[in-house]
Amino acid sequence: MTLWDLKQGACATVDSFCSALQGEYRTRLSELGFHPGEQIACVLSPSLGAPKLYRVNNTVYSLDDSVASLIKVAC
Amino acid sequence: MSKTILIGSPNSGKSLLFNKLTGLNQKVANFPGITVNISSGKSLANPAQVLMDFPGVYSLHAISGEETISVDAFYAGLKDPEVSCVVCVVDATRLEKGLIFALQVINACAEQKKPVVIAANMIDVLDGHGMSMDIDGLAGALKVPVVAISARSGVGLADLQALIANHRDTPSAFVSDIIATDDSVVHRQAQKLAANFGPKGDLLINSQTRLDRFFLHSWFGGVSFLFIMYLLFQSIFTWAAPAMDAVEAALQFAASVILPLLPSGAVSDFVADALFGGIGAFLVFVPQIFILTLVVGMLEDSGYLARAAVICHKPLRVFGLTGKSFIPMLSSVACAIPGIYAARTVDSPRKRWLTYLAIPLMPCSARLPVYSLLIAAFIPASAAFGGLVGWQGLAMVGIYLFGILCGLLVTAVVSRTNAALQTDLPFVLEMPPYRLPSWKPLLRNAWNRSKHFVTKAGKVIFMVTVVIWVLGYFPNQGASLGDSWLGYLGKMIEPLFAPFGLDWKYGVAILSSFLAREVFVGTLGTLFGIEGGEENIISLAEHIQNSGLPIGAGFALLVFFSIALQCVSTLAVLRRETGSWRLPAQLFVSYSIFAYAAAWLTFILVQSIAA
Repeated sequence: MTLWDLKQGACATVDSFCSALQGEYRTRLSELGFHPGEQIACVLSPSLGAPKLYRVNNTVYSLDDSVASLIKVAC
Repeated sequence: MSKTILIGSPNSGKSLLFNKLTGLNQKVANFPGITVNISSGKSLANPAQVLMDFPGVYSLHAISGEETISVDAFYAGLKDPEVSCVVCVVDATRLEKGLIFALQVINACAEQKKPVVIAANMIDVLDGHGMSMDIDGLAGALKVPVVAISARSGVGLADLQALIANHRDTPSAFVSDIIATDDSVVHRQAQKLAANFGPKGDLLINSQTRLDRFFLHSWFGGVSFLFIMYLLFQSIFTWAAPAMDAVEAALQFAASVILPLLPSGAVSDFVADALFGGIGAFLVFVPQIFILTLVVGMLEDSGYLARAAVICHKPLRVFGLTGKSFIPMLSSVACAIPGIYAARTVDSPRKRWLTYLAIPLMPCSARLPVYSLLIAAFIPASAAFGGLVGWQGLAMVGIYLFGILCGLLVTAVVSRTNAALQTDLPFVLEMPPYRLPSWKPLLRNAWNRSKHFVTKAGKVIFMVTVVIWVLGYFPNQGASLGDSWLGYLGKMIEPLFAPFGLDWKYGVAILSSFLAREVFVGTLGTLFGIEGGEENIISLAEHIQNSGLPIGAGFALLVFFSIALQCVSTLAVLRRETGSWRLPAQLFVSYSIFAYAAAWLTFILVQSIAA
């Protein structure tokens, strides 16, 4: 399951990154809080494929499918 | 002289702190990545102390060209013996994220034996929500000074200045032992520190999420976005109208007082035609620039712009852009220059390059005087749809949308025909908290922009109007504009603009506007002033109406001005940002040809409909 599959209001734990995600972006996502083991909540999932809002710690980020579908999560 | 470095994550409030400590007016906004250059200024508390505001970076591990420049500059600054202290600004409402970066900064400062102070900003926001954080506990754990501040309200700034002064006078060796180079260790440390000493509860996020559920709702979000954008453009006309009328009335009153006092002849004619006719015609539009900058600033400060970027991401992807392109494009509605700088927040170089293509086509404030003039001359001031809106406001929305559409079409075509521009970088955007805009900096920013418009464009307009007036007034002392030197030159270029139904006077005004678009209004004002004589001080729009310009020519002019890249400053800044004249030269030539062809087609179409 990837972060993009997470429904609005659901939480999951970051498991790992897909190999398609470049190393430097993995580091950046980790620094922003998308770190393996970290709990992420999907706070808003608009329709029509718009970027979704994810809460990590006390910060909300908007991620589109190109990156959220490369973060593997476990519920 | 000793220097202090201010560094922090994007949107941590660093630039507002810099402004408070130095009394300068660095642009601030509630959107990540607004600071794009290193600014420096003397401390108000101690003029021997220089503060340097570095662009916000999420990490000292740079992933883009701009971040590399900022991070390299930071490391170079640490090696500077004059740097006596580093202030790392963290957002107290998002402590964990700020601490990951702060721990990297502490590590870098330890290597260079530079003292560091952590400024926990936005403490007023925590207070406002009945929350708090353990400042002393955090300072004890980090073993570096931590001071709670609010750059907005000024709380804690005296304590921060005292700490900076203390490090200047007696530079202390670095003592923190909470240093780790491994990223996962740093992350765990930040998590633990935030949990132990940070604010408890998630009130801020809950209130932010409630607003996001409305502003990013699939339907309400789209409708509210269109409504806010419509208000933005409608306000330019309706809110500014009384101020514009007042400026015009003041100019007419000044002309009626001053002109009778002057001896008749060239001096009187110059004051009437070039000063009141040329410069005056351009000054009338300053209130619109003020209101436009104010409204765009309000949207930036409220945190709404980041939501607008999310709303626009998917539609902009169709045109080869990203949601992050929305901020530079909207900034360009005020002026292309800050828009080009704001394009640095577009982290993908390819998307940034495409954003550069769209920016010159955004309806900037320099186009506003030209649009306002032509709309006032050709569109009736009556109300439409039962008095809900005005036709002139609708026309303004229409021409603005036309410019935006042209920009999007260009990027759509270029991104599809150039294979190298079709790949993308991940879209990750931090959602800043919603805030009530602070009026003081917003008003100051709008005032500065208006002042800049008057002083910078005013100089060019003054020089051009003087040249135009001299060429149009002599050798026959204004007796016949057509027989003047300008008339002779103008008739030579008349065939170039005849396909749009324009005579030589408009041709001269268009050519002069290639220095800056606003010059068009000043030049036309001067020409009509010479032709009309000093007794005939009426508005420029009335002059155009009386000149019998066909409606198709009016629309052709609107289309021409919405496409042509008539701005020397935009070309120069594009050259600086891209490192070569190639892109500005390509854009200048291609948009000039595009503008000419589109204006010609518009003239034919409108004239055939009118007939």
